[in-house]
Amino acid sequence: MAAQRQASSASQTPHISPAELSYLYTSLALPGSPIRPDGRSATQFRPLTAETDILPGTNGSARVGFADGTQAIVGVKAEVEKTVVSADALKLPQQTQEEYVGNNDGEANQGSSSGHGSWVQMSIEIPGFRDDDALPVFLSEMMREPLVESVSSEGSGNGEMTGGLKGRLVINKRWHWRLYIDVLLLSQPQSYPLPLLSLTTHLALLSTKLPKLKSKGEEDPFFDDDWDAAEYLYPRSTSTASATPSQQVRPPVTLLVVSVGENIIFDPDREEIAVADTVLAVSITRDSDSDNLKLVSIRTIDPPSRLTQPGVPNSENVTTLGSTAAAEEAAILNPSTGEEEVPGVWRPRRGGVKRSTVARIVKLVLEKGGVGEEVLEGLEGVQVG
Amino acid sequence: MTDRRRINGPPSGTRPAVFASSLNSASDIATGRPQRQRQPNELRKIFLKTGLIPSASGSAYLEYEPSASLAAARSSPKSLIPPSSALKLACTVHGPKPLPRSATFSPNLVLTTHIKYAPFAARKRKGHIRDASERDLGVHLETALRGVIVAERWPKSGLDITITILEAEDDRWWGDAPDSHDAPWGMMNVLAGCITAASAAISDARIDCLDLIAGGVAAIVADESEDGEAKPKLMLDTDPAEHKAILSACVVAYMPSRDEITEIWLKGDSSKALLGPDDKRSGHEALLDGAVDAARGAHSVLAEAVRESAERFAGLAPGGGATQ
Repeated sequence: MAAQRQASSASQTPHISPAELSYLYTSLALPGSPIRPDGRSATQFRPLTAETDILPGTNGSARVGFADGTQAIVGVKAEVEKTVVSADALKLPQQTQEEYVGNNDGEANQGSSSGHGSWVQMSIEIPGFRDDDALPVFLSEMMREPLVESVSSEGSGNGEMTGGLKGRLVINKRWHWRLYIDVLLLSQPQSYPLPLLSLTTHLALLSTKLPKLKSKGEEDPFFDDDWDAAEYLYPRSTSTASATPSQQVRPPVTLLVVSVGENIIFDPDREEIAVADTVLAVSITRDSDSDNLKLVSIRTIDPPSRLTQPGVPNSENVTTLGSTAAAEEAAILNPSTGEEEVPGVWRPRRGGVKRSTVARIVKLVLEKGGVGEEVLEGLEGVQVG
Repeated sequence: MTDRRRINGPPSGTRPAVFASSLNSASDIATGRPQRQRQPNELRKIFLKTGLIPSASGSAYLEYEPSASLAAARSSPKSLIPPSSALKLACTVHGPKPLPRSATFSPNLVLTTHIKYAPFAARKRKGHIRDASERDLGVHLETALRGVIVAERWPKSGLDITITILEAEDDRWWGDAPDSHDAPWGMMNVLAGCITAASAAISDARIDCLDLIAGGVAAIVADESEDGEAKPKLMLDTDPAEHKAILSACVVAYMPSRDEITEIWLKGDSSKALLGPDDKRSGHEALLDGAVDAARGAHSVLAEAVRESAERFAGLAPGGGATQ
């Protein structure tokens, strides 16, 4: 339990020896072309199987499984809820008060028309962790944040999604949808579970349907009970030929990127993340105004390489030097906690990331034909509905 | 059987009555919003003092300069509600201390961070149990500090960092209804303050670090200018109460001597920022650079506070006291 506590932000510290860590680091940091343990290229993702609409009791659901056996299931449930108008929102500008003088309950405020971030709730269940442990809390905040943040500006091609997901959840001035996104990881995480959970959540949200609204305007909401008439939460283009997928609002995807030496590696597995200098979670979404992708959030994740055990160079090792006295003498001559690196001897990573590295990572993700585009296109290809 | 011996209140909470006379006109609300008096790249003054809590091995107290609107509201009160709030927090460091016997072996210093808002810290009362946002802040702080502390010098030891936030930044101006820009922007200022204070407290506890790490915030704000057009601009050390719409914001934990960042927390849409005409940077790069500049500013205050702490320590040390 203590080991888990300690590695709260990143995944558990793997039990890899300093010699193995040093070998991994050297091969991943090779200039130009990193050699990954499973032979992938630096931007290649692990193969996965995905399916959607697997849980009939939910509004939308998805299951994604990686080849190493880790699987995640996401269920999205929606509830209709009365919009609470807070006391400070009652201090509404005069003109709106006159406008809604007919229904003088005074609940007409501008706030409710654009939605509220707390209407989307996310909970993540990871075996072996309590719900209030740092990892599930951090992961759910990391995934919820870009979701409610990705506000598309007005005048986008798709009028239905003005205001992003939050705007879509508004039914009328007094009612709104509340979205519960429940993420279930089915096995102990083999690697940092962020990419798996993010891809599953993306697919589940794409397949989410809300019942068709029959009432109009400010009436109490009344829905069509025909499930076939239900509308997608993220609307599809009606004519697939004309509208390019880039013009539609899509849920964001969070990518896990690590940097090792000068190299930048996507979708790291357990061994790769264990030697990474920096771990970044980069969330992207489609920009509704242009064809490009846009950045929604960046977060650093505590790399587990900071918690690893250092290797002992031969110059200080008792076994290679023959006697403890010689080792002690050597330790005084060149203290192991110094800054100098002995090639082939593992040192826990210290310090942070250069700004230029962050800029390079973001460029790789966002550029045309880059990794982000490839991931979003791949997800679009999964049969939904 | 219901309790009939006493008159119970309504089961759910009630709201205080808002009288029509206290509802001012729309223009009055607009003038009530505090205005930013500083330049876009000017930071608020920081008060930082170490060693205020004697029972801890290291401690620091940090305070931001209150906005000018607060002093104006105090001198000529129009409303009982203060227009803005400024960050005040206390940080204590306990350790390095031996890990409990039940803990597994650790070759490194085990860092635990706790961030807790005092119940009275924000406009809305916070409970005594840490909620999700406070845990999230704790993880951010841990990430920021773990890259700086030279952890392998204390095997089998633990270090507890506890931060109590006495007054938090507002997420938005209190008169604004929560809307599409309702993200907790105040939390990012709180995190930057926590990083700076924790760094001072760790130095006060004399724990080896690579550098003094400082936190900084920059944001892209879209305030309406005179011609009614919203122009997104980059500003350093933003007070969320002073701005109508914050499009995106970024916190960094920055080490000036190594020019490295141990913690980035950037969110929001930074692509719309209008930079200078000869500025080739994209929005997120400008935002990151801005946050680093803000952290550099905080670093000078931090260095001064740590120097004071070292002088105090030198005065206390046996034989080393030049003040005797």
